[in-house]
Amino acid sequence: MLKYRNKMALFRSIRFNIYVGLAIAIAAAVGTLVPQTPESPANVETFQLHHPALSHFYHFLGFFDLYHSPWFMGLLALMAFDIVLCKLWNRPPDPDVVSLPPEETKEAEAEKHLSMKAEALRLKPLKAVLVAKTPYREAAAKAREMLRARGYHLREEFSLPQGSAFLATRHRPQRWGSYTTHIALVVILLGALIKGVWGFTEMIPVLEGSSRAVQNIPQWSVHVDHFRVRYYPGTMNPSSYESDVRLTDGGKLLAAKTIHVNDPLDYQGVRFYQASWGAGGMFRKVLLEIGGKAMELAQRRAEAIPGLPFRVEADMMLPDFTITPDGRPDTASLEPKNPAVRFAFFLGKNKTRALWLFMNFPKVCLVEDEDGRLSHAPPPPFRLAGIEPILFSGIQTAYDPGYKVVAAGGILWLCGTVLLFYLHRRRLWVLVEPRRKGSKEEMESSPIRLSVGGFGSRGPKAYAAEFDSIIRAFETELSGHAEIQESRNNIQEVV
Amino acid sequence: MELALAKAAFAFYAAAMALAFLYLFYKDDKWSLWMLRLMGVGVLLQSASFGFRMHSFWLIPENRYFLPINSFFGALSYLSLAVAAVFYFVEGRHRLGILGAFVLPWPVIGLGSALIWADPKTSGLVPALQSYWINIHPVVLMTSYAAFGNAFGVGLALLVQEHQIKSRKPSELCYRLPSIEELDDLNYHIIAAAWPVLTVGIIMGGVWAYNAWGRFWGWDPKETWALITALIYAGYLHMRYVGRLRGKKAIYVSMVGFASVVFTFLGVNFLSGLHAYLSGGA
Amino acid sequence: MNLLLAGLNHKTAPLPLRERLAVLEPQKTLHQLRSEGFAEGVIIATCNRFELYALAPRNSGRGAAELSVFLERQAGAPFGPAAYRMENGDAVRHLFEVASGLDSLVVGETDILGQVKDSYFVAKDAGMTGKLSNVLFQRALFVGKRVRTETAISVGPTSVASLAVDLASRVFGNLADCSALILGAGAMAQTLSRTLRSRSAKEIVISNRSWDRAREIAAECAGSAVPWEEFPRALAAADIVIASTASPTPIVNSETVLRAMKGRMGRSLFFIDISMPRNVDESVHGLDHVYLYRMEDLEKIVAESLKSRDHAVRHAGEIVREKADEFSRWFESVRDGREISLTHSDHGDS
Repeated sequence: MLKYRNKMALFRSIRFNIYVGLAIAIAAAVGTLVPQTPESPANVETFQLHHPALSHFYHFLGFFDLYHSPWFMGLLALMAFDIVLCKLWNRPPDPDVVSLPPEETKEAEAEKHLSMKAEALRLKPLKAVLVAKTPYREAAAKAREMLRARGYHLREEFSLPQGSAFLATRHRPQRWGSYTTHIALVVILLGALIKGVWGFTEMIPVLEGSSRAVQNIPQWSVHVDHFRVRYYPGTMNPSSYESDVRLTDGGKLLAAKTIHVNDPLDYQGVRFYQASWGAGGMFRKVLLEIGGKAMELAQRRAEAIPGLPFRVEADMMLPDFTITPDGRPDTASLEPKNPAVRFAFFLGKNKTRALWLFMNFPKVCLVEDEDGRLSHAPPPPFRLAGIEPILFSGIQTAYDPGYKVVAAGGILWLCGTVLLFYLHRRRLWVLVEPRRKGSKEEMESSPIRLSVGGFGSRGPKAYAAEFDSIIRAFETELSGHAEIQESRNNIQEVV
Repeated sequence: MELALAKAAFAFYAAAMALAFLYLFYKDDKWSLWMLRLMGVGVLLQSASFGFRMHSFWLIPENRYFLPINSFFGALSYLSLAVAAVFYFVEGRHRLGILGAFVLPWPVIGLGSALIWADPKTSGLVPALQSYWINIHPVVLMTSYAAFGNAFGVGLALLVQEHQIKSRKPSELCYRLPSIEELDDLNYHIIAAAWPVLTVGIIMGGVWAYNAWGRFWGWDPKETWALITALIYAGYLHMRYVGRLRGKKAIYVSMVGFASVVFTFLGVNFLSGLHAYLSGGA
Repeated sequence: MNLLLAGLNHKTAPLPLRERLAVLEPQKTLHQLRSEGFAEGVIIATCNRFELYALAPRNSGRGAAELSVFLERQAGAPFGPAAYRMENGDAVRHLFEVASGLDSLVVGETDILGQVKDSYFVAKDAGMTGKLSNVLFQRALFVGKRVRTETAISVGPTSVASLAVDLASRVFGNLADCSALILGAGAMAQTLSRTLRSRSAKEIVISNRSWDRAREIAAECAGSAVPWEEFPRALAAADIVIASTASPTPIVNSETVLRAMKGRMGRSLFFIDISMPRNVDESVHGLDHVYLYRMEDLEKIVAESLKSRDHAVRHAGEIVREKADEFSRWFESVRDGREISLTHSDHGDS
């Protein structure tokens, strides 16, 4: 066993773990600088196009999906493994911290008794010795009562050859803080692992009024019966959007709900989120105004223009019209911020022209030639009066059986860090000795010598002020005076 | 009104900072006292300004009752208010006036850059932000950032003190600044208090993300950088607490941590991501 | 009432004369003074001065000269021009100057304030103070304190030993957490170890080539001794190292220190080298977290600090003059029986 432990020394070393953490931090930073396939596949393609040689290298290293690459997973696993190893086997740096398993070892027991000796007490970073008139038989009880009044928890009382001694503590649970925090981290990573193995997420864009199957559970279908988006007045910024969603299995209705952002539909742990929305290129109808008269056009259905030899067809819509550098039409986003419709005009069977008209700019008209290039045209005698686009609702579907584990880990983390960083564990060793030795009677009524040693989890400096006030209280209550007072805070700074 | 008050608060902060610098070189408690008074007025003015901002923000019904921290202006002014208030509180209790010169530049820079570069207009919250979490998750994180800013100031003071003693020509400043070891401890205590806040804030973000998008963690640049910050400070805490490694090396690590905080807050907006909510930048 | 002052100090009187007065017991002298018919009197006696302040009824015709004669009788020697004799306004100003450290050998030193306070309490206990002298001395203490907080007169070190300890406290804060290692047994090293002891250094360890001598010094300053061969290892545990051996070559080089620093985890190490030739190699100062101050560095800083105190003296003098005038006005108003209030507004912002 001992040999095995030694072999693991590397993984148990804090220094090594700091390096592992550093490696994770650097890798994570790299991942934010290189485009990631799951997030933006288009950016990855662009990057590969511009840097073919580098891309090859990156691809080899898994940089384009860094967070799911085996080596990154390996690093996270290594960290979890190291934490478990450290916490199970390492001797805690602070001797007062429980070791796991948390039974006190024989050595610890021996050390505790040893530490009660006056000599050992003087080795404590905070210490004081005072002599007092209070008779020996009352002193220990009085001292205990005072510490109790100050919120100390009185733990053990021993009878030693030279007198009696006890331990008093405050904020004792602090010693569990480090374990709880580290275990919480492992639990959170475990939850992530569960999600990675059994969970899934997929994006299902569903056109309003239609349905799509869930890829991971093919027998389920998501129907979006209605999709609504509301805007802040006078802007194209949506203030809310929502979908009336039905979930079916074959023909059977499983669940129905109106989902909003931040308010998903939950069915047997599978959640359907209103994640995004947009306009594809589809519309129900457009209104074209020609000479003061409006005509309704459905998508890709040519209609004759009354009084003219032409037929017109609305064949395409772009929700957020923009022109590419090489002069072709494109859309900047899926939100209908600058909707444009392409109209094709036919004379007999011949297509004469393709014109782009805009909702927001009635005076603008662009002509598209056969290569798909755009050029400006004079203001047309007609205008685009209305569009009724068919919107799609982006439904993020997720199944995360690890979430509860992660949430539990989060709560554990909260508890652990609060214990570790906000509690201040204090420990006092108090030894009361009679100054006159002799018969029992003589000892009982003898004045005393009181030795106090202190330990604070935040170091001697942080505990010194309270320690001093306790010693002063001992002095007044036990009518004594300090013989040696070597606590740390009673020296004035020099001007 | 909101802007006028914010500008006045900025003027008071700047004046307080000037006094803090004076106090660095001239020992006269008057400077320190006036610095504290000016800071107090500045904090009051900025609180009032933030109140006005809240009022105009809540005129939009969808925004009710969320905090107006969805824009650069709102976030920066909240952050500088938090730093200033924390400093006012700490200074009022402990009278560490000498550290003012190292901490006050942060609210001055924060509010100043908000006033100069950011658009103070309030706008409606995008649907994803209309959640009670907006009052918790960013506020918790920015509070920890404010504390890290203070720790960074302390670290700077330590480097100055270190340089003073190393130079063998200690000036007046050397006797005024706390000792190297005390500054080292202070830096550690602030970070030890702020780090749990940071990590809990990140976890809260995960919970929100799960409720809004169906994943706890998505390696989005902002959350990734917050995690990097937490990792760097975790490294620092381990160096200090377990390794008992103090001094310049540890201070440099904590300063890298603060650089990461600044990048998380500002720089990440240049990398695209889901957290690109902060609007109205330069 | 008239305020009278007779006294002499390090500037006006030679040491033998001051010594004659130094042996006088203030209580006894005050007693004598009372039998001479003075109801109120305070004696300020330090190694650098002996001053007697007394109040005499206005119409008694008693002046400072009479007080001087009284002191001469006590000392058993004539003062002649070695003493100064002042009355009322001048005496008030002189007292305020003394309390402010303006009249001290090391201008701005802070001990004098405590000495004035003690002198006042001695007189008070002896029943030799009354309304006027109470207000006068409380005012003097207040002015002394104010001068020190408002001017730079007490800023900066005044001696090599106090500077070295001050610098150490700029590194470590409270010296109670610090261990000092003393190499060698020079007289300066002993002064420093005494200063450290008075500032409650945790531990003082002495190492010397002669083991017996090391133990001897250790016993003197309540420290412990370490054999000479082992001092490089003691470096790892020490915070302040004072080197003062007679070694002709450096005994501490950067290699030794680097080895010691390994176990210190970034905690600073402060060297004071007061030996000639140097005991600590200059390259040590280049190491991280290691600071080496040599004798000449310390002396230079002390000299500069004393020079810069001169600038503060003028400012301090203004405060003293203003406060003395204010007090004198009050003093006169009391004498005339139409007491004005002595402004206490400045207590508020002190």
